[in-house]
Amino acid sequence: MAYLVPLFPLIGFLLNGVFRNSLSKGLVGIIGCGAVLASFVVSVILFLDVRAGGALAVQPLYPFIHVANFKIDFVFQVDQLSSLFLLIITGIGFLIHLYSTSYMHDETNDHFARYFSYLNLFVFSMLLLVLGANYVIMFIGWEGVGLCSYLLIGYWFKNTDYNKAANKAFIMNRIGDAGFLLGIFWLLSKLGTANYTDVFANVSNLTPTDITGITLLLFIGAMGKSAQIPLYTWLPDAMAGPTPVSALIHAATMVTAGIYMVARSNALYSLSPIAENLVAVIGIATALFAATIAIKQNDIKKVLAYSTVSQLGYMFLGLGVGAYTGSVFHVMTHAFFKALLFLGAGSVIHALHHEQDMRNMGGLKKYMPVTHWTFLIACIAIAGIPPFSGFFSKDEILAAAYAKNPVYWVLGVIGAGMTAFYMFRLYATTFLGQFRGTEEQKHHLHESPAAITIPLIILALLAFGGGFFNVPAIFGGGQQLHHYLSPVLTAEHEHEIAHSTELMLMGVSVGVALLAAIIALTKYARKPELNEPEGLGKVLANKWYIDELYDNVIVNPLLALGGFFKNVIEKSGIDGFVNGVGGFIQYSSRRLRLVQNGKVGTYILLMIFSILILWLAFWYQATITGFFQKIF
Amino acid sequence: MNSFVYLLDTVVTGNSADYVPIGIQIIFAAGFVATVMIATHLLGPKRKTAEKLENFASGIESHGNARQPLAIKYFLVAILFVLFDVEVIFFYPYAVNFKSLGWYGFIEVLLFVCFFLTGFIYIIKKGALKWED
Amino acid sequence: MNAIIFSAGWGIIMMFCSFLVKNQSSYRHIAAVGLLVLLAANIFDTYGVDFFHIDSGKMLAYTRFGFVFNSIAIASTLIYVLLTGRDIERLGRYTAEFFTLVFFVLCGVCLLSAYNNLLMLFLGIEILTIPLYILTGSDKRNLKSNEAALKYFLMGSFSTGLMLMGIALMYGGTGTFLLESSRLQSNLYHGISFLEIVGLLFLLASMCFKVSAAPFHFWTPDVYDGAPSVVTSFMATIVKVAGFIAFLKLCTVRMSVTSTAIDWKLIFSIIIILTLLFGNITAIFQQSVKRMLAYSSISQAGFMLFALFSMNEYASKGLLMYSVAYCLATIGLFAVLVKMKDVTFEGYNGLAKTQPVLAATNAIFLFSLAGIPLTAGFLAKYYMLASIIKTGTYTWVVVAGVLFAAISVYYYFRVIQAMYFKNGEPQMESFGRSFKLGLVVLAAIIIIVGAFPQALFNWLYF
Repeated sequence: MAYLVPLFPLIGFLLNGVFRNSLSKGLVGIIGCGAVLASFVVSVILFLDVRAGGALAVQPLYPFIHVANFKIDFVFQVDQLSSLFLLIITGIGFLIHLYSTSYMHDETNDHFARYFSYLNLFVFSMLLLVLGANYVIMFIGWEGVGLCSYLLIGYWFKNTDYNKAANKAFIMNRIGDAGFLLGIFWLLSKLGTANYTDVFANVSNLTPTDITGITLLLFIGAMGKSAQIPLYTWLPDAMAGPTPVSALIHAATMVTAGIYMVARSNALYSLSPIAENLVAVIGIATALFAATIAIKQNDIKKVLAYSTVSQLGYMFLGLGVGAYTGSVFHVMTHAFFKALLFLGAGSVIHALHHEQDMRNMGGLKKYMPVTHWTFLIACIAIAGIPPFSGFFSKDEILAAAYAKNPVYWVLGVIGAGMTAFYMFRLYATTFLGQFRGTEEQKHHLHESPAAITIPLIILALLAFGGGFFNVPAIFGGGQQLHHYLSPVLTAEHEHEIAHSTELMLMGVSVGVALLAAIIALTKYARKPELNEPEGLGKVLANKWYIDELYDNVIVNPLLALGGFFKNVIEKSGIDGFVNGVGGFIQYSSRRLRLVQNGKVGTYILLMIFSILILWLAFWYQATITGFFQKIF
Repeated sequence: MNSFVYLLDTVVTGNSADYVPIGIQIIFAAGFVATVMIATHLLGPKRKTAEKLENFASGIESHGNARQPLAIKYFLVAILFVLFDVEVIFFYPYAVNFKSLGWYGFIEVLLFVCFFLTGFIYIIKKGALKWED
Repeated sequence: MNAIIFSAGWGIIMMFCSFLVKNQSSYRHIAAVGLLVLLAANIFDTYGVDFFHIDSGKMLAYTRFGFVFNSIAIASTLIYVLLTGRDIERLGRYTAEFFTLVFFVLCGVCLLSAYNNLLMLFLGIEILTIPLYILTGSDKRNLKSNEAALKYFLMGSFSTGLMLMGIALMYGGTGTFLLESSRLQSNLYHGISFLEIVGLLFLLASMCFKVSAAPFHFWTPDVYDGAPSVVTSFMATIVKVAGFIAFLKLCTVRMSVTSTAIDWKLIFSIIIILTLLFGNITAIFQQSVKRMLAYSSISQAGFMLFALFSMNEYASKGLLMYSVAYCLATIGLFAVLVKMKDVTFEGYNGLAKTQPVLAATNAIFLFSLAGIPLTAGFLAKYYMLASIIKTGTYTWVVVAGVLFAAISVYYYFRVIQAMYFKNGEPQMESFGRSFKLGLVVLAAIIIIVGAFPQALFNWLYF
């Protein structure tokens, strides 16, 4: 039954893609949304099945690569982890699809259908990634989402900047993929299998060096896909795509792939302290670094983008310190509130006719009540204020980080404070104060249609209540998610912190968040930051000049090298050689043709000479062959 | 090298010596022809007249250029004559061995004549021997 | 024996039809029926039903391989007659005689696939070529056709002279005309006669001439180009392949006897390389598709020579495969070429737009000749190369073969380029729907044989 889940979006992709010129918009929307809804329904059934204690289902579909003893099958695996991800992907994916029918309505028919076919393909790839029962199938999906992100970021392909952003995303991802692929090869060469069950059962056959190497290579893949330092720069640029696409990339698919992969491989990571520490350090560094950048961004979507990078950093921190459940939990809650934030931002952008600069917004509270309230809920959730969902998940990670190393915790709390600060800066600048746009924009200001607001409301409910799926023991909660996932996440570290300490930690982090939120609200509600920043602010606004650094250190030298190869080596070397061969053959053709002069006498003479030469060759063949043997 | 030595062996131990008489005969024949030709040229009396340089055409006086286009019929009839003439030669060996070949030989010759006849019928029907148009 | 007698007999029937049947267009139907009868007779013979028990006194020796080849040749001729029958009629008043000569040629083919005696080889070659001299000149009013016929005749008689000389020397050396005989074997114990080797060299040269292998190929482009296209089609395919079958037998039986002492491989490798070189390199610069196909037939001959080089089981199978692939593809190409008013590359411009079916089938034929996978031509080339690799030595010949095959793609694809990627209005003779159908069937056969070669080879055993 598991194969049905990716099958529906695939059918949707094919239908919308093939018949994009003939289908009406309504039909395209129904096919696109319907496909994902159908997957969602199947996912729910699967989830309930697994929850009810259904056995671990590994479903072989067909033999994929069989060469001698080397076997890779096309196998799906439905267990606690994948079924949870299925729910997130298809559920949120469906809401985003629904939202898109309204958001993208201005596109022409065929482009509308193209959009939906890409969207379906995206969901399909992500489902493949999650469902695969070995690393190879995961890699297929992994590449699929990379491709779809490229297609969707460059959806408005007439804009060169957008195309560049799409290229950037793709290339950055490819760099990570190379690492991932090498990791898979290493695994295959050592164990001969890439099936999760076989790999985890045979971990003992690997040397510590192997494990560290494999996990680090896999982590490079995760860095690319989940936008961690140093491969994070593509994600903020990926804002070039339509806003629902950003929501899809940031919330339901793509960036969570890295988390999923590391969580899936927890049995490997837990055996390599080096890899674990690296994951944690990279995670917390990314969390802090991205948060600083987010503080000074003025593009509404850029702020959200950096917040995603930052939140992903938290998730990796959780993975690094062994709080796998916490990370997966954070993936889930983050999916809720980040989708909500993006869709809300989309609603705002839609209402303002593609205005994305916050400095030209403000005071939207009274024009767009639904958007406003849902957005506020999301802000509170991401800031980590109880009892909203973000609090529970983030706090679980922080508690585990404290147990591992208090420094992580301190840095994490600072990051959480910054998160609250930039989110409420965003909220205040956008929704509070006076409207700062043009008169014409003001005239057209209105609440978005139902296809947009309904997903917002649903997501707001989830963002509010999502935390109750895994209430920690300290609040008398049952930790349902923890128990649910425990068969898969075998390497989970059970952190032992006294309840009093934990309460104290929570108090501090919530206090910091609240304080930051209040500062931001009071500071920006009345007097938004309209001027160009200076000093450190300018550095932050320019994202620490990382893009420029990459350009100068990596991209430009590479381009120069490429130019050298293109203009010198290829033109005069390879082209010269290739064309030279062709030219030589053509020349000899012209010469050789002249032997054929049409005179019988010449022909017969030539034939007689040939016979004589053949005779000589025959007579002296021992000498001739000896001569050649001497030469070669 | 192996094969080469082998070839040499054939030449040396083989029957190349057997060809010596043939070689001598060739030289002798060529020498005889040459000698006779040179001798007649030197010894014979020479009287050059215009008539002697004329083309000899069965004693009839020649008219104009010999390379005149002829009707294809001449060639056709001539070539057909040669064809059938050559075929008839096969009867000579048969005539010589008439007795020893017996009835089997007789049937074979009959078959041969039948084929012969088909060709002849074809020629007649195609009008190859029709002289007037 | 069936095929030999039936082909000669039906030839005579066709001859008589020329004045018994007045309707011009019925000749090709009679010929087609005749070919069907011939095919049936040969298949009967294949499975041991011989209508005429004639003792040839070891002059002929029938093999399953020879019968299968006969069937291929007859079937190819049938396809040839069906596809180009109308165009033969346009050649002149002597349609019936044309078919007569075709039947006589087939008689020669059947002799060549079964000869066991050097005289029979000579007889077969002569029965094969003399009708061809006439066919080459069958476009009587065309000066080029006449020139080609005369050239062919002059050079052909020269090579026949070489062949007779060779046979005479071989007789002198061994005292027998038979390909295999106890006397030959016993003579060999005393060392191979010098005359035998010289004779074989002469025979080799003249056979190379017949199959247009370099450096005895000079007649080929001129004759193929000058002859009427319908004749070229026949001459370049069935006749040439029959020559190869005869050549293969000569090599495997007579030369291999001597090969214990003498290595023929160097001579053959020289001939192969020269043939591939002349055929491929010269084809590149041609402007006429017809002349290009003439050169391509030389280069294909180069590949068929591989079989003579290696002389193993792969070789004979491969040669059979090659004869199917090469004959069918070339017949198809010529069938379309005959319909073209302009046979230069420009004449094909834009064919894909006006005649998509013709262009598509033509492309498949060209793919097969170029040896693109999934066509019979690929497998044929594969078997040829594999046969040399099996011999274990002379792998550089394989390398050269592959390189030249790559070059050949250039001139074959020029036609495809003209048909598909250039604009133009090709002028064509009229043709019916059955013609198109025939081409499609031909293309289908090429692909089916390419996909299931066992269907062909199984015939060798069952």
